[in-house]
Amino acid sequence: MTRAGLIALAVFIIATGLLFSLNPRTQQKLSAAVLQAVAPVFSTGSSVKTRVQAYTTGVKSLAELEDDNKRLKTENNELRVTNQMLRDLGDENVNLRRALTYKQRSNFKLIPCRVIARESATWWSQVQIDRGEQDGIESDMPVLTESGLVGKTTIVAQRTAYVLLVADENCKVAVSIEGTRDQGILSGTRLSTGAQPELLIRFLPKTVEAKPGQKVYSSGVSGGVFPSGLVLGTVAEEPRVRELDAQVRVSPAVDMSRLENLFVVVPHKEGG
Amino acid sequence: MPSFDVLHGARITLFPVLLAYGSLALPYPLVLTLAFCSGLLWDLLNLQVITSTATLLKTPSVEVFAGTSVVLYGLLGTLMHGLRPLFLRGRWEIHVLLSSLCTIAILLAEFLVLNLKRGGFDFPPVMWWRILAPGAIALLLAPVVYLGFTILANLLHYPVRENPREPRGLHRGI
Repeated sequence: MTRAGLIALAVFIIATGLLFSLNPRTQQKLSAAVLQAVAPVFSTGSSVKTRVQAYTTGVKSLAELEDDNKRLKTENNELRVTNQMLRDLGDENVNLRRALTYKQRSNFKLIPCRVIARESATWWSQVQIDRGEQDGIESDMPVLTESGLVGKTTIVAQRTAYVLLVADENCKVAVSIEGTRDQGILSGTRLSTGAQPELLIRFLPKTVEAKPGQKVYSSGVSGGVFPSGLVLGTVAEEPRVRELDAQVRVSPAVDMSRLENLFVVVPHKEGG
Repeated sequence: MPSFDVLHGARITLFPVLLAYGSLALPYPLVLTLAFCSGLLWDLLNLQVITSTATLLKTPSVEVFAGTSVVLYGLLGTLMHGLRPLFLRGRWEIHVLLSSLCTIAILLAEFLVLNLKRGGFDFPPVMWWRILAPGAIALLLAPVVYLGFTILANLLHYPVRENPREPRGLHRGI
């Protein structure tokens, strides 16, 4: 080996050693910087993909557009009515809580975002979104759709962020099953595949009485990431009782293969 | 690069193929530089930070440390650079095969680290798809990438097929 080669090898070993000595927070910051740098590439790729998909789905005829328009108008009216009813119920709830001198529930703000890259890693179930620190997003914030909980933010750059999906083994959510008092920890599998990943509730009591079709909600552990009451899915089959606990398979409420428009749940700051 | 649903979510992994060609075309210090940069970029783009909510401090931890791929790329780059004389003798298929093996080795190492961190070794069939399929794709891609870079090198008069330590005339037997 030449002298230059030996010097390069020594520098390489020292630089690699320094890398290993970086703490997780510094690595997170470095990762966010790289993510920010490559975000325009992902974003462009996503818009090209969207255009290609729009082209392949074909141009709709005037009659089809009219039908769509009618249907959407009807849906819009229905949603307005439902929205008004829910607002009334919300007001009533606040008044009742106040009357009972309950502590008011924390307010949350929903930040809409778009998925710009899907499955950007081999071993982790994650997506990349087009919102970041600039929009008030931080790591460990819940992400959802109108159908239910999707996951949580992990690495957040200026204008983009990664969302770890509930289908991943690392995304653990404290949950409760509808109609029961049983609580457990829901997570995905080590390697999830396809549109319907497998979700599993672990650490349930052996006496659990879950029935297929019952809904699964986040139970909102104190100091945790996810607030209570978010839908995660429905019980798919009868519980499997093991030596120390019971496990229940869950069908996810959200179709993970069709994630497009999401919402990041950001705590509403007082006076902000 | 995109993932393929048909191949159970396997992806195209270009970095090892580029590293393999770089180890043929560049002097050793630059091979190490390439290994460091590509390994670091790969690790940072795939960094997975887990925040534990079990403690009040909420300290984050990293699954696959940034630098893991740097070590692997460095070792494989060194090996491929060491086998460069074979390429100079026209045995290009060795490095094509090494590109594939490098891809497989890196993905397998990542999965093993991940298993060590999470506990419990689990080898579902989909894992083999996600490791072997990118290796097979690399095997198909490598000759195309090599050809493309060789044409580019010829256009730019960069001497890939010559040993930089020897005078240009010697290699040609003049």
